[in-house]
Amino acid sequence: MKKKLNALNYLVLLGASAFFIFPIIGATEFSLRANGATTHNFSNFQWAIQQDGFKTNLGVSLRLAILTAIAVLVLMVPTIVYLHLGGARWKRLIEFICLVPLVVPVISFALGVSTAFPTFLQSTVYELSFLYVIISMPYTYRALDVGLSSIPLVTLVEASRASGASMRQTLMFVIVPTIRSAVNGAIFLAVALSLGEFTLAVILHWDTFPTWIANISQGHILAAIALSVLSLVGAWLIVLVFAIAPKSFRSNKAQEAAA
Amino acid sequence: MTTENRVSVQLKGLRKVYGDAVALENFSLELAPGELVALLGPSGCGKTTALRILAGLDTDHEGQIIINGKDIASVPANKRNMGMVFQAYSLFPTMTVEENVAYGLRVRKVDREKRRAKAQELLELVGLGSMGNRLAHQLSGGQQQRVALARALAIEPNVLLLDEPLSALDAQVRTQLRDEIKRIQTEVGTTTLFVTHDQEEAMAIADRVGVMRHGVLEQCAPPQEVYLNPTNVKVAKFVGAMNLLPAEIVSSTELRVFGHTVALRASDTGAPSGKTGMALVRPEQLSLKLGDGKGPASATVVSRTFLGPLTRISARMISDSSTLFISMPSAQALQFVEGSTVDVDIHATSVLLDA
Repeated sequence: MKKKLNALNYLVLLGASAFFIFPIIGATEFSLRANGATTHNFSNFQWAIQQDGFKTNLGVSLRLAILTAIAVLVLMVPTIVYLHLGGARWKRLIEFICLVPLVVPVISFALGVSTAFPTFLQSTVYELSFLYVIISMPYTYRALDVGLSSIPLVTLVEASRASGASMRQTLMFVIVPTIRSAVNGAIFLAVALSLGEFTLAVILHWDTFPTWIANISQGHILAAIALSVLSLVGAWLIVLVFAIAPKSFRSNKAQEAAA
Repeated sequence: MTTENRVSVQLKGLRKVYGDAVALENFSLELAPGELVALLGPSGCGKTTALRILAGLDTDHEGQIIINGKDIASVPANKRNMGMVFQAYSLFPTMTVEENVAYGLRVRKVDREKRRAKAQELLELVGLGSMGNRLAHQLSGGQQQRVALARALAIEPNVLLLDEPLSALDAQVRTQLRDEIKRIQTEVGTTTLFVTHDQEEAMAIADRVGVMRHGVLEQCAPPQEVYLNPTNVKVAKFVGAMNLLPAEIVSSTELRVFGHTVALRASDTGAPSGKTGMALVRPEQLSLKLGDGKGPASATVVSRTFLGPLTRISARMISDSSTLFISMPSAQALQFVEGSTVDVDIHATSVLLDA
């Protein structure tokens, strides 16, 4: 059912797009400035990349982002599928839990974590992934919930079960591919949030890419902006990998089988 | 390609309750190996519930499900090896037609070449041999249901379960696919349970028709038997058109309808004599002749509906203004124009009584 967009829809779309696009264009332009805005080149990027700690901190943030994305999928997809299939009575509770991170101030969240989290988790930077899963829940829940609402989930699951598939096979072969764009959306949200999160990392005394950028920016504001643009691009790239990987994995297998 | 695993199915004393509503009550049914049984009834009569219980998709029921002598009531849906076709289009949208058909084999870890060959074989069987690379949304409704049928058969199921597979299709495709399902089922030989609310469909396709009402299986017999010899008034009224004619009970075995003495159907005998009731008579068990309007069974022709070889006439009784339907060969019906006065005659040898 394709609905034609009317003028008002276009206006809203345009306004919303401008709201997102102009700051990004502005930041990109700013990051490319050189010699007091007389020319544009990549010198700010080059400078930033050559600074101490660029690789280590970017590596940490990328690993956190990937871990967060995987944890979000493993935790959220089966849960929301269950809510749609017959766990409707839990829906309000889960929805509420997923909204809580929006209203709990990050400071109190961080304090709670540092007193309640087991020490073995607190001793590694990857504790941040757990927290990123939680603070991304309000967004990832919505993305996946909308995706699952838009497909005939019950029929597809029953057809898959009747064909002999286990629930795990049904999730992997039928549900996730069918809500691919919602899954990609959730991954993007989780990755973008992990790559940009600053407060929790600082309060819990971890060095990540955003905290490192904050340090750099004290000496070189343009380079800091260049790095922010870079992490945005990085987020897109990671989503792209998640989106393309399953397909190329499948076609590789097809080629192997044909050979 | 006749499959070797022809199985018998026994459903014994099934009972299923949703909240306060009883969906199925003391439901027992046996399917012989290779048999096609249609469950027929209005929506909400429990026919789909029975099918879903057999599939393992509805649990928490009482009673036994016995396949080839083994009770499988506690076996989960994905281990029952049942092929199922749903009312709604249920193809996996991200897979090609061939991948859909091969899906059951894929989850059983059959190797790729074998499952491709099997999928192709089944697509040929349902007449879609060249469509393997399409996606579901590129097919028409009828084609999608063919693919769903191929997918259900690909796993060489113990039982084929068809849950109103034709309801979403338009009339022409429906008839065509109905005949094809029958052909394929006969060819493959899989024991099949078919659920429908369409009488014609059930009559045309099934070896036996099970008529259901309010969660109870009223009668299960070959189609002719259900139509000509319904076990009770409920079945008689539901299957085919039925006239209700005023009748007088003469004895425990006989009725008087329009001055004729007619035998009372065995199952309903024992009615007290001297009382009256309604005799159930099919439109084709009545005939007309032109009359003078003075007989006990005089009527006026109200309308004629031409149905090709047959014409259906509706006539209003002069005595009590009730309306009757009479069906007769179209050539005979020409003489009975609207408004003509006729005498109604009855040809039934035995009838049911709605007391």
